Amino acid sequence: MATKKDYLLIVLHILSWIIFVGLCVEAGGFLFNTLYTLFYNPAGAANFWMKSDLSALYSFNQSHFVTLTAIMVIAAVLKAIMFYVIVKLFHDKKLDLTAPFNEAFGRGLYNLSYLTAGIGLFTYWGTKLSANLIEQGISLPSLQELRLAGADVWLFMCVTLLVFGRIFKKGITIQNENQLTI
Amino acid sequence: MPIIVNLDVMMAKRKMSLNELSDKVGLTLANLSILKTGKAKAIRFSTLETICKVLHCQPADILEYVAEEES
Repeated sequence: MATKKDYLLIVLHILSWIIFVGLCVEAGGFLFNTLYTLFYNPAGAANFWMKSDLSALYSFNQSHFVTLTAIMVIAAVLKAIMFYVIVKLFHDKKLDLTAPFNEAFGRGLYNLSYLTAGIGLFTYWGTKLSANLIEQGISLPSLQELRLAGADVWLFMCVTLLVFGRIFKKGITIQNENQLTI
Repeated sequence: MPIIVNLDVMMAKRKMSLNELSDKVGLTLANLSILKTGKAKAIRFSTLETICKVLHCQPADILEYVAEEES
């Protein structure tokens, strides 16, 4: 059973690394394409990221283009940081199954909830902004393509993680007391 | 904490070293040290019973309540 659990943790560690690298590439891609479009070649908006076409938005209003891409960059960076925190927890061996309730893991859980709150708020802002722009008749790619979908899910995840963090904090206290019971 | 552990006093009275007490009580030196230095959060009745048996004393000889201001 212990071997199976360790194996599962290794798989999760590797998956976290892959997702982290993917999110870093995505965040870098968003940032690069924004700067490329703004300062080098405006045609970059037509082939923004994974064939997303933001040329209509760019030609409508550059400041709206900057706002939307900035939101996309911030959300992508926050997602990358979130997986950095997860990878760090695995890498620093904070997930100790013999004494799981430790301060570092509890802090990590709280950090994850704050990051999901940030992602949720920025994706919500991005969702509202793109809906507003579509109402003005601008053709925009779907929220999935803009990586701004699921704001409500991120906020729900934040609340769930906060509740887990609170329970975990109590667990840390109980474990510490238990360790100091002679 | 207002509960003071006077284990070192009783050990001195019985002329017993920490190693000897550890052997007789069956607790590790680390745990006995936690108890002796007052870092322990709780003590099991079974542990208290064994310590009292080995040191031939009462629980009150080991544990003492001193109000916060006095301590």
